[in-house]
Amino acid sequence: MRSIDIHAHVTPQSYIKAMKEGQVWHGVGPGPLDIEPQLEWTPEQRIKDMDSLGVDVQVASTGAQFYYYGGDAQVIAAMHRECNDEVYQMTIDHPDRFKGLAQIPMQNVDLAIAELDRCVNQLGMAGAMIDDKVNGKTFDEPEFLPLWKAAEQMGAVFLIHQGGGTLVAPRTRSYHLPNTIGNLVDRAVTFASFVMGGVMDACPDLKICLAHGGGYACYGVGRMDRSWDVGRLPQIPQPPSAYLSRFYYDCLTHSESALRMLIDMAGIDKVVFGTDWPFDMQIDWPVAWVLSLESLTQDEKEAILWKNMEKLLGMSSD
Amino acid sequence: MRSIDIHAHIAPLAASHLPEGQTWHGFTRQEMNGRQFLVQGDKRQWLHPAYSLNADERIAYMDSVDVDVQVLTTWVGMYNYDLPGDVGAGIARECNDYVAELTRSHPERFSGMATLPMQDVNAAVAELERAVNELGLKGAQIADHVNNKTLDHEDFLPFWSAAEELGALIFFHQEGDDTIVKPRDTKGWAIDNSIGNLSDRVVTFATLVFGGVLDRFPDLKVCLAHGGGFTCFGAGRLDRGWQVRSEARELGANIPSTYLDKVYYDCLTHSEPVLRYMIDTAGIDRIFLGSDYPYDMGIDEPTAWVNSLESLTQDEKDAILWKNLERVLGV
Repeated sequence: MRSIDIHAHVTPQSYIKAMKEGQVWHGVGPGPLDIEPQLEWTPEQRIKDMDSLGVDVQVASTGAQFYYYGGDAQVIAAMHRECNDEVYQMTIDHPDRFKGLAQIPMQNVDLAIAELDRCVNQLGMAGAMIDDKVNGKTFDEPEFLPLWKAAEQMGAVFLIHQGGGTLVAPRTRSYHLPNTIGNLVDRAVTFASFVMGGVMDACPDLKICLAHGGGYACYGVGRMDRSWDVGRLPQIPQPPSAYLSRFYYDCLTHSESALRMLIDMAGIDKVVFGTDWPFDMQIDWPVAWVLSLESLTQDEKEAILWKNMEKLLGMSSD
Repeated sequence: MRSIDIHAHIAPLAASHLPEGQTWHGFTRQEMNGRQFLVQGDKRQWLHPAYSLNADERIAYMDSVDVDVQVLTTWVGMYNYDLPGDVGAGIARECNDYVAELTRSHPERFSGMATLPMQDVNAAVAELERAVNELGLKGAQIADHVNNKTLDHEDFLPFWSAAEELGALIFFHQEGDDTIVKPRDTKGWAIDNSIGNLSDRVVTFATLVFGGVLDRFPDLKVCLAHGGGFTCFGAGRLDRGWQVRSEARELGANIPSTYLDKVYYDCLTHSEPVLRYMIDTAGIDRIFLGSDYPYDMGIDEPTAWVNSLESLTQDEKDAILWKNLERVLGV
């Protein structure tokens, strides 16, 4: 049994060091360091925790707080290069335990493509983690098409993961709902933006993984189909539900019945293992959780835990 | 076989037939691009042509799709929570008198829900009391927020207290394109409707649960339109939030998923697996027939659709089509 986690975050040690020393880091700080203790762990400490959880490989992504799409593109491009070099070093020092996802400066598509190209083609990373939107722009915007085309060419995977405020926040900030509902709303909107914006038709080999189980995408697609049925989506050739199987999803649903529905609607080959390590909204004992699910067959559990990710990342299954 | 539809909209003929040049609670009627609108200041609300039908014409339509009873709710253009309270109260009274008249003239075919001026909670409570006690309406339809205040706000406690006391069913339904997914957040493509309506409904469920409203008023009857939106599917992450975040546990007594069977839902999912999921997570006794007549995002033939679902037993179909609403509303 193996397990490969596509949803596990890193906080750059260079950032931690700069904050502790009262330094400015790529325009950030100086300021108090307010992070989870586990985020300060070295790769070796992280591996010990992975061992205790039964996680063999993390596809590590620098955390969403480091998107900084509102910042100066050149400054943030340099920040992202440093983040990516650090993740790259983890994959070099521990090639059996870490793969990497890049940060890319989405506020400038040319720079984003350049950094993605460096990370994938030179550093051997799997792709990039990006927000659901860039300064209010959704991913149907034509300006992003060159990025999707470039990623398709490279075989890069995008993990879609919200950054700052979700769409729930303007309505209510109470009870942690901007996260517990907002993440899932934003992911459904991203699904809709890719599909209805024609990106999935224009880029048939594009690999998109929607974090948090794709949020409400699969559960909400019936109403999107109705929009198509009544002529509100004349621009796409098929109803939105036909595109569910074009995406990948992590298993971070906190619900067996939701995961079962996701499998039934998108296909078992589209669901990958994702934990949100090390944040409080993660799955506590993620491998044990997947293995405990009575409504899944053993084959389905193995597909989620590692087989699908091996295929997606082109890893050898020795 | 009977069928009772909880989600069917109407507007007073006085509004839909408003003569040119006259005003109705400050609105005028204007035609733009072949469509009729009620207009007041910056507000421009589309009057669906079906609102021009009289009772007999509406019943003829109901007969054509095998709907025996519509529990009438006004079109959400009647909310007007942004207008002064006295204007809202005047609109609500006229709507409620209109709906009540239909339920009296056609008691076998129409039941009714009230419209309320939620921007003035005292006036809303008074109108709900009048609507239920004097007009015989079954409850009220309200929006997921009142001028961006969610319904767990302490201002609304008297409203919930009155609704529980009266045994009124409160039906949640967004106001037009005013969901958390704004048209400006997407490229259009009706995402504010297709995703937004469903998002607003889970926010409403969550604020009532986390805000302790369902604990304080255990006999409260709440129905979430559009199948409760993402509520049933999203409960797992709500539960996790409740477990790990102290701010999520301050007011609500229990883990959120345990409230799924404390509220009601209509069946307007446009998806058999979603409806099946709701039945399996919330319970078959919690789900009502709801069509969203007369809108294009509704179910074209609601009774036939429910009867066609292969994953439901006949008992489950009967529960959804009429038995649950008959029991809950006494219609």
